[in-house]
Amino acid sequence: MIALKALSKNPFKSLLIFSSITIAVMAIFLISSVSQGVIGMYSKMIKTDGDIIITQKGISDTFFSNVDISLLEKIDKLEHVTSSYAMIVGASPIGHIPIAGIYGTTANHFSHYKLSSGKYPKEGEVILGANLAKQFATVGVNIGNKRFRISGVYSSDIGFEEGGVVMNIEDAGVLFNRSASFILVSSDSPNKIDNIVKKISGMDSAIEVKTTKNFVKEYNQFKIIENSSFVISTLAFAMGLMGIASVMSMIVNSRKEEFGIMRALGKSRFFIIKNLFFETLIMSLSAYLFALVLSLGILAMLPHIEMLQGYVNGTLSLSTALYVLASTLFMALLGSLIPAWIASKTDPILLINQGCA
Amino acid sequence: MIKASNISHFYGAEQVLYNLSFEIKEGGFVFLSGESGSGKSTLLSILSTLLKPSSGELLIDEVSIDKIKNIDSFRQNRIGFVFQFHYLINYLSVYENIALAALEEKKQNINKILEELGILEFSSRYPNEISGGQRQRVAVARALVNEPKIIFADEPTGSLDSKNSTIVYELLREAVKNGTTVVVASHDMQIESYATQIIRLKDGQIL
Ligand SMILES: Nc1ncnc2c1ncn2[C@@H]1O[C@H](COP(=O)(O)OP(=O)(O)O)[C@@H](O)[C@H]1O
Ligand SMILES: [Mg+2]
Repeated sequence: MIALKALSKNPFKSLLIFSSITIAVMAIFLISSVSQGVIGMYSKMIKTDGDIIITQKGISDTFFSNVDISLLEKIDKLEHVTSSYAMIVGASPIGHIPIAGIYGTTANHFSHYKLSSGKYPKEGEVILGANLAKQFATVGVNIGNKRFRISGVYSSDIGFEEGGVVMNIEDAGVLFNRSASFILVSSDSPNKIDNIVKKISGMDSAIEVKTTKNFVKEYNQFKIIENSSFVISTLAFAMGLMGIASVMSMIVNSRKEEFGIMRALGKSRFFIIKNLFFETLIMSLSAYLFALVLSLGILAMLPHIEMLQGYVNGTLSLSTALYVLASTLFMALLGSLIPAWIASKTDPILLINQGCA
Repeated sequence: MIKASNISHFYGAEQVLYNLSFEIKEGGFVFLSGESGSGKSTLLSILSTLLKPSSGELLIDEVSIDKIKNIDSFRQNRIGFVFQFHYLINYLSVYENIALAALEEKKQNINKILEELGILEFSSRYPNEISGGQRQRVAVARALVNEPKIIFADEPTGSLDSKNSTIVYELLREAVKNGTTVVVASHDMQIESYATQIIRLKDGQIL
């Protein structure tokens, strides 16, 4: 096939197109996947652990929230409530580590953190996330101005949790001077959840009660990540696409002489456009697949990169992959076929002479 | 076979051909002569349908070329080209370059022509793997493959030494013997001896 010949006999040009498409496609994949991944990880943490979340009213971030922990008793008595727990989420220097996550929780939530050694913490004790544990060979750690005994090590599906410590909520309450950051409630019947939300809301005027689904949807931090990553990845992609289109048209223009010769030999416009179409298709499809494989490889490696402490995670959605595929093919074809179409309308001898100049 | 009436051509505002009218008879070896810049290439391109004249009419076999429906198949069936530079496609082998131009039913002739032109042994090489003289012979083979009624050649020996030039002219003369009309534009007066008709150009006008 003539398209394959053209590609393989001009390896430098082919490589140029191939790498420009690969880089553009990888950029969009990595940027959008990482932001989708970070959001996905946080949402998963919140959604899997409860159906309803209670935070302090009018607070922009759970870090600043303070909720009365004594609500737990009343909530547990409600019908269709299966369990509830309270948490304090904070960050503080731990030993020589400048900043790490601190998860203070009621004892009924300890099982979320899978022990890989030792025991769950009692008062004055902590368990260390697997990543953090690598940094401490001691029996105790200093957090704030207090020393805690290390009672065990845990692992977690949620990458960044492994970079923190877990302790009893009372201990965390002293450190961060609050009762609880938020309370999560689970129910056994999904259609009663709205009703439960109403009842809890009535218990305390200082709280905001939401289903975790809505909370994730409305959470400002997620919106910011989502919007900014959308802007960045759209810009990166637009630039990449324009790059693809201009590389394609540069290369088509440099081949005007060839098109002129073909026209002089009696080859139709259709013949020229058809071959270029296949060349472009082969090139952009293979570059796309290459970028896809590379990106998936990098995304698979991300959670294992120590420096990132599990904070950066990426998932590539099918819809992103398809959308990128469609726009890549479209721009590549646009960039090559339009100049080719214009060239095919020019008098052949002018194409031949232009090519020579 | 070719009848040109009042052909004029402009590049932008610059007029390079002035109201040329002449006829070319079938089976001739026509020499389009003139100094460099006199308009030979422009006229040859117009005669060979590769350039639309700014004004005037061109009849090939009594058909006005504006009225030809399928110019592609007209070119492939009737016309062969040899340019000053070989203009072979760099990513196709010698054989494939000729096959690209060949009509389906003429493909069986390719090896025979390559043999006659003494380049059969290079048929699987690429243009950059053979000499300039050999490349030009490939270009001649490409022009001959469909046994066209007319061959147009623009400075076909312009980049060749005299030995290779003679080979190319002999090949073209052979084609004329077989009934092809050959039109050569050149400033090389050596070919006057081959010509059956000479059209002399000076500053875009026939002398
Ligand atoms: N593509 C072009 N654009 C503008 N001017 C051209 C072009 N081709 C040729 N010319 C001009 O037209 C004149 C005739 O050129 P050409 O037909 O190539 O003559 P020749 O083949 O006899 O050397 C010259 O003055 C040349 O500069
Ligand atoms: Mg010339």
